[in-house]
Amino acid sequence: MKKIDKSKLEDLWGRLAAEQDLFLPVQQDSVVNFALWQEGSRVNLEAVNSLLPPKDLLFPQSEKIFSYKRREGELSFEEAPGSGPQVIFGIRPCDVRSIELLDPVFFKEPADTFYKNRREQTTLVSIGCLEPDTTCFCTAFGIQPLDAEGADVMLYDMGTAYLVSPRTEKGEKLAEEMGELLEEAAGAEEEGLQQQQEAAASAQEHGLDLDGVFEKLNDMFDHCIWEKFYRRCLACGTCTYLCPTCHCFDIQDDGSPEEGQRFRCWDSCMYEDYTHMGHGHNPRPGRRERVRNRFMHKLNYFPKDHDGVYHCVGCGRCVQKCPVNLDIMQVIEEIGKEGVGGEGHDR
Amino acid sequence: MSVAKEGFEPLIVAFCCNWCSYAGADLAGTGRMPYPANVRIVRVPCSSRVNPSFVIRAFQRGADGVIVAGCHPGDCHYHSGNFFTRRRLSVLRRLLEYMGIEPERFQVRWISGSEGAKFAQVMTDLTADIRALGPNRKLRDAL
Amino acid sequence: MNLTEKMRQEAAQILESKEADLVIGWGGGEYYWQSPPLFLEDAAGAAELAFSPFIVNNLAKYLLEELESHEKAALFVKGCDTRGINRLLQDHRIQREAVLLIGVPCAGLADREKLKAAGYDAGLLQVERQGDSFILTLEGEEGAREVPAGEFLLDKCLECRYPNPLVYDRLLGEEVQKPRERDPMARVREVQKKPVDEKYAYWQEKLSRCIRCYACRNVCPACNCRECIFDQNAPRWVGKANQLSEKQNYNIIRSFHIAGRCIDCGECQRACPMDIPLMEINRKIIQDLTELYGEYEAGIDPTDVPPLGTYRAEDPAGFSER
Repeated sequence: MKKIDKSKLEDLWGRLAAEQDLFLPVQQDSVVNFALWQEGSRVNLEAVNSLLPPKDLLFPQSEKIFSYKRREGELSFEEAPGSGPQVIFGIRPCDVRSIELLDPVFFKEPADTFYKNRREQTTLVSIGCLEPDTTCFCTAFGIQPLDAEGADVMLYDMGTAYLVSPRTEKGEKLAEEMGELLEEAAGAEEEGLQQQQEAAASAQEHGLDLDGVFEKLNDMFDHCIWEKFYRRCLACGTCTYLCPTCHCFDIQDDGSPEEGQRFRCWDSCMYEDYTHMGHGHNPRPGRRERVRNRFMHKLNYFPKDHDGVYHCVGCGRCVQKCPVNLDIMQVIEEIGKEGVGGEGHDR
Repeated sequence: MSVAKEGFEPLIVAFCCNWCSYAGADLAGTGRMPYPANVRIVRVPCSSRVNPSFVIRAFQRGADGVIVAGCHPGDCHYHSGNFFTRRRLSVLRRLLEYMGIEPERFQVRWISGSEGAKFAQVMTDLTADIRALGPNRKLRDAL
Repeated sequence: MNLTEKMRQEAAQILESKEADLVIGWGGGEYYWQSPPLFLEDAAGAAELAFSPFIVNNLAKYLLEELESHEKAALFVKGCDTRGINRLLQDHRIQREAVLLIGVPCAGLADREKLKAAGYDAGLLQVERQGDSFILTLEGEEGAREVPAGEFLLDKCLECRYPNPLVYDRLLGEEVQKPRERDPMARVREVQKKPVDEKYAYWQEKLSRCIRCYACRNVCPACNCRECIFDQNAPRWVGKANQLSEKQNYNIIRSFHIAGRCIDCGECQRACPMDIPLMEINRKIIQDLTELYGEYEAGIDPTDVPPLGTYRAEDPAGFSER
């Protein structure tokens, strides 16, 4: 296996950034988010995890679809420009999995060309997590904290250097760009990796069991369990906007009859207007229905359509940042406790 | 944050109350008192109708300066509307300055229906001030 | 009897005697720092109540919806929370007779971020207040450690002026003495000193982080409109596009809408996931209102009129009147 010394990272980034857009976790105040690398960026590769997931690099919070102009009665349209190649450097395995969960949503025919273009030109360089945060629970979803299956290049933190393991054609190509910055790793380092992997897999203490949660929920739409959780909800969009797998969007127009644009932007099922119909009716009139929808989507609707795969990767962002501690782990636990067809059904 | 000033013609949005300042503008017109064509008037029933959102929206959509003009305090057609305006926009003006907007770009003036000359003078001065400041790029929509 | 037990006893009694048909308090969570709002209609549930140095949520805002389906709600309130109660009373959004207030004196709450920065997060099981200290219960051999509370208080608690409830029907425990340790206006003055373009750049950096989740609005007791302009579609006052100008618009107008009504509780900034210093905006307005129209603190007296809801003929103008 190859390795790269941590002292050579700046060189490496400079080199990668010359060929494509390079995004990595950058510190600003107390906040670490993925940002375009520039010389002097305060890169923070230690943070587990970035505050916002890097999903906006594939699915921006808002993006132009087309713009229009009317001049002397002539209406003209201009499509949004395409995107170029990019590298997401330092993405954690949970976020890599989240992209694998977004793929089937956006690739499903008719494929979302905006997402698809970006995705096809994106190379994911993932860093394994040695020390989880206390709110991490990715292992509950079968994710290996040290190994992202969907990464193009996997980096393993060995202290002063990263072991570099290209996984895909894109990854090989990127390794080539790294050129002489890569050195041959010693056998001892590769052995150390084995131990790290075992330690990392058992470092999380959540004790969550997802077994049967999806099936139970089939029957729990009207269950009283939602009463317990929705009342504290403030109906803000923090959980959905910080979620690496949430992917709902709205389409809006902005401008005048003479000139303007159509764009799409993130939307949240926590918002009242998300299901507000044109004729005034709202099929999800309150927080109860909206909170239920969020969890049902993550734990039941999505798995139903995707071979039982849950739409959560255990990154813990919503757990950390929900202002009223509406904790998905607790929701999962409570669902787990309920017997199928038992008390509490039909509220 | 100002950009090239050469050949720059500022765009100024003036919210004028129907009863005083708009009448003042009318008087300036009928009295053939010229004022710069940079000023675009939006007639409002009372200066207190001007929601701070209007001001920000104007900047978002390309205004280089915004002025709110109403009846002199004590002369409000609705008795007390402009007293509220005075408090509200005093706070807004300071807030905008705090957020980094040059205070010259947002003005409030009292112009009565008989003050056509004052209307023309205020708009002439304001246009000159904004022209000297240069185009505004702050708060601007990136379309 | 510790405060947790007192809270439980009080809640059970209220529900059993049908003094109120709902009790809103704080429960416990999986993590030491969790203190989710808890809603009880049944005395049996009172055992879930838990007092901790993390009872940060102001429960007052829940009254808006809960009182639609309940006759009378009892809720636990800290000093800052009671200013929220006064806010809702003053805005005629709740009736005093419909609430039963159980005051909880508060010597300041703990900041998980500060504990984390000091290396206390992983393995920390519980934090308890004892005098001027926090007692940290740790996993493993050490068991417990005592640290000075002052180092781990939320910033907003260091700036707090009202540790004791201003309005209540019953008080749990003794009133506390807690001097204000930090001048809340210091940051405002610092930002104010910057040249105008630097101010713009400062706010550009902070506000560009805004993701428009509206947590700041939703948590705010002063934001109690039945329909918020930011939710209106026709006309849409603030566009949904993720661009700086819309974020500036949203944040300026949000703070302006609570001008003279902001109770200085700091919940907006606490709830902001993106760490935007929103109180620096709110407090700028509080400062200006004081300078222009005299000392005023919102949420102290529910019968007075906020400064932007009134005027005096001789008011100074914050702009040139020439």
